[in-house]
Amino acid sequence: MTAVPAATVSLTNAAAPAGGIGKLSRRRRPNFSRYVGPVAVCAVFTLLIGLPLALVLLQAVMPGLFTAATTGVFSLAPLARIFASPYIAGSILHSLELGVLAACTTTALGGAFAVLVQRCDIPLRRPISIVPWLVFLTPSYLKALAWVLLMSSGGYLAQLGLLPPALGAGFFGLAGLVFVHTLSLFPLAAFIIGSALAGLGSELEDAARLSGAGPLRIWLHINGPLLAPAVALSFIATFAEVLSDFGLASTIARMSSFGVLTYGIYAAASDYPVDFPAAGAQALVLLALVLLVVAADRLLRRRADPHLISGRAKPARLYDLGPWRWLALAAALAVAFLALILPLGAIAARALTSTLGHGLVPENFTLANLSAALTLNTAANDGLMRSLFYAGLTAVIASTLALLLSAQLGRSSPFMRTMVLGLSLGAVAIPGIVLGFGYILVWNRLPGFRDWPFPHYGDGSLLVMGYVAAALPYCLVVILSAIGQLAPSLTDAARLHGVGALRRLLSVTLPLIVLSVVTAFLLTFIRTVFELPMSQMLIPQSGPPAPTLILKLFSHDRDGLACAIALVAMTAAGGAAALIWYPLNRFVGPGRRRAYSGREAALGKLP
Amino acid sequence: MNIRTTLGLALGLTAMSMAAPASAADLVLYDALDFAGPVAKAFQAKTGLTVDVVEPGSTGETLGKIAAEGKNPQFDIVWIDGSAVMERMAADHVLQPVPADEYDKVAFTDLGKSLVPQSHAFLPTGTSTTAIEVNTKKVEPGKLPKSWADLEAFAGSVAAKDPNLSGPAYQWLAGFFQTNGVDAGKALLAKTLTNKSLSGLSSGGKINKAVLTGDAAVGINQDSAIFAKIAAGEPVIAVYPSEGSVSLPQGLGISAKTQHMDAVRKFIEFVTSADGQAAMQNGDDTDYFFIPIIKGVNAKPGRETNITCTHLDDAVASAHESEWKQWYKDKFVQ
Repeated sequence: MTAVPAATVSLTNAAAPAGGIGKLSRRRRPNFSRYVGPVAVCAVFTLLIGLPLALVLLQAVMPGLFTAATTGVFSLAPLARIFASPYIAGSILHSLELGVLAACTTTALGGAFAVLVQRCDIPLRRPISIVPWLVFLTPSYLKALAWVLLMSSGGYLAQLGLLPPALGAGFFGLAGLVFVHTLSLFPLAAFIIGSALAGLGSELEDAARLSGAGPLRIWLHINGPLLAPAVALSFIATFAEVLSDFGLASTIARMSSFGVLTYGIYAAASDYPVDFPAAGAQALVLLALVLLVVAADRLLRRRADPHLISGRAKPARLYDLGPWRWLALAAALAVAFLALILPLGAIAARALTSTLGHGLVPENFTLANLSAALTLNTAANDGLMRSLFYAGLTAVIASTLALLLSAQLGRSSPFMRTMVLGLSLGAVAIPGIVLGFGYILVWNRLPGFRDWPFPHYGDGSLLVMGYVAAALPYCLVVILSAIGQLAPSLTDAARLHGVGALRRLLSVTLPLIVLSVVTAFLLTFIRTVFELPMSQMLIPQSGPPAPTLILKLFSHDRDGLACAIALVAMTAAGGAAALIWYPLNRFVGPGRRRAYSGREAALGKLP
Repeated sequence: MNIRTTLGLALGLTAMSMAAPASAADLVLYDALDFAGPVAKAFQAKTGLTVDVVEPGSTGETLGKIAAEGKNPQFDIVWIDGSAVMERMAADHVLQPVPADEYDKVAFTDLGKSLVPQSHAFLPTGTSTTAIEVNTKKVEPGKLPKSWADLEAFAGSVAAKDPNLSGPAYQWLAGFFQTNGVDAGKALLAKTLTNKSLSGLSSGGKINKAVLTGDAAVGINQDSAIFAKIAAGEPVIAVYPSEGSVSLPQGLGISAKTQHMDAVRKFIEFVTSADGQAAMQNGDDTDYFFIPIIKGVNAKPGRETNITCTHLDDAVASAHESEWKQWYKDKFVQ
């Protein structure tokens, strides 16, 4: 008699939180722990990005925040000032125009490149698949400099008689900027779309083929819609990247009377006295533009990302292009030549010559720049070693954090996921110089933070923290896109067997996405070696990292030595990345193949 | 528990990995001069005192960093080109006056003495001026400009720095208004700097590049930048305008908040000594080609020193800084 009511009470308590006091306290614990993840995610973002950014943006509406003046706590004057300025209004339009155009062309080129390399049987497929990595290895300011060396009226192409004057004049404008941005950023689009492409498998395609659908129809009606989220993500990421770019803004755009927002922020932040409110107001406009695109994307695409990878995926088949493969090869080689060989050639030529004005004549060639860059215990070498160390440290921290956050987000509400994705992409759009400026405001102005011993303004620790903040959004985009493809059934099965969250992450999720994690690690490593704006704003007092040195040499017109340092740095970063990638690919590869049911073709996407 | 452990591990890893060594040098030097690093190294070798050298890039970027640090400055000494901006920082109490006895210890030449500011905002260590940089491959000898006014003939092909980004460029602009008159100077610049893609460059290096690549026929540049290019074998020459141009002193300023005054004094004394001056000339870049202002020190070979320079009225330049910079930005920077 008494057993039945007891069981009833117990069931009732399990279904509803209202129960006995003892049972209620037992129910609260899991409820609380469910919020620990999102709270930690918010805490990390707030500290790394939110707070510095907020202080910068607050300058736009509270111009007296850090000045002696206590009057005018809230003011819209800085915003009114920038919108009244025809120069700044024009630069907003320029940024928007350039961002949209370049995002379209970059996504198209990156997507086509990913399809060509991953799904088509073209000759030299493997060497060509390394090209995006090598392009990514070259920082935008070096590529911009290389194109200036090539395309200016006294530049290398003109010296060689290969540059029609009309083309040279037309290059320094919107067309040239879109051209260089496309060639410079297509790897980002190729990585994002290629990562989704790798997860497509061939089950759906095979089914369509068996039902009589041709390749065009399959791509239009099956693969295309499935890849749409990745294409949209690629568009947004490249749009944000173009908006926040400073390398081209300060070189080609500057020379083309094509003012953009980032240059305006830089100009406002590089003067005495600094115009913080103008910098903050322009940063606010920049962030608003990016968030608008993210919001528009969410409104237009109200469906969940497809979960493509499950335990039953089959390897994707390579298309046999027949004789067309030679044309495809020629197109891929043309991209490689324009995006990589020509700019690197210009940098190498400048590194190996003593003056620019005397051009490529034999007597102008010298090894002095290279030997100066390679000599041990020099400022150049110290800077290089420092940058490699900071980059390694940043890559470990950022990829670990991104993995943990992605795992948390995978289980969070769609709202939380959208918030974090928006924040990440917003952070991508924030120029490093603005974020670096925010770090100065937080860690050198805010009481509490200012006196905090570690990280501390002026130390390497704060620079590494800044690097992590700059890299985390990229790592999140790469790892989130991989985790988003995992069928929940994989981790659900483990959970039902009582496996804890940490073990599920390490034993189930991580092995399935390990190559994406390594991708994030290597991207961060390479980008950080050359990260310029954060390095500029947070130079450790113990010594400058390589990008600051390179920029200083450029600004002092010693671009020969700067090009030599850049060449050595690229070689060192590339070599270090290869040393990490190849052994890992060798040991991790077989496990991944088993997990993916032998999807070797998809694995071949990365070098 | 697992989630908390994971995040705890992540945060712990973040904290541990950031254990980069903190700086504990005897002096922190902010500068935008090529020779500052080697001079600091020589100072360290001689005195045993350590110097952290922080070089954000251009003068504008160095000043931007100082401005961003506000009331919590991290530097002990700032070493840059330009007297007007030093006066401005002294007026804002970012810098403290250089102790009078430090001037007395230096064997200044007459030129050097004339550069010592009444306010003691900075201690001059050398000087240069602004000249017209001409690409001899692009401009025939008979058509060389001789004055600022002659630059009108090169309208659209004149490279110039944005004074908002370059300390030396503001020194030039204020000096140009001083020698030509503000209204006449503004009118002349309006007729000369007609190509905005060339008139808002950020550094002397970019002026050199514009002139060397042929994008500009002539440039308005710090003369030591031109002599560094001449020494490197580039086809350029420096033309001094007949109206005269103002001197551009390199100066050491002392942070108002420094806690290392003894080390600061030792650094000043080293820089103005024979060893310090030798280290300031032991290189091939722009700033090594300064005009010495200490007795017994000669300029680097090839460096013109017989130049008639006037001195800038720093008070006027400092008072109009924001207004003139804004005017330049509105007119000549896109």
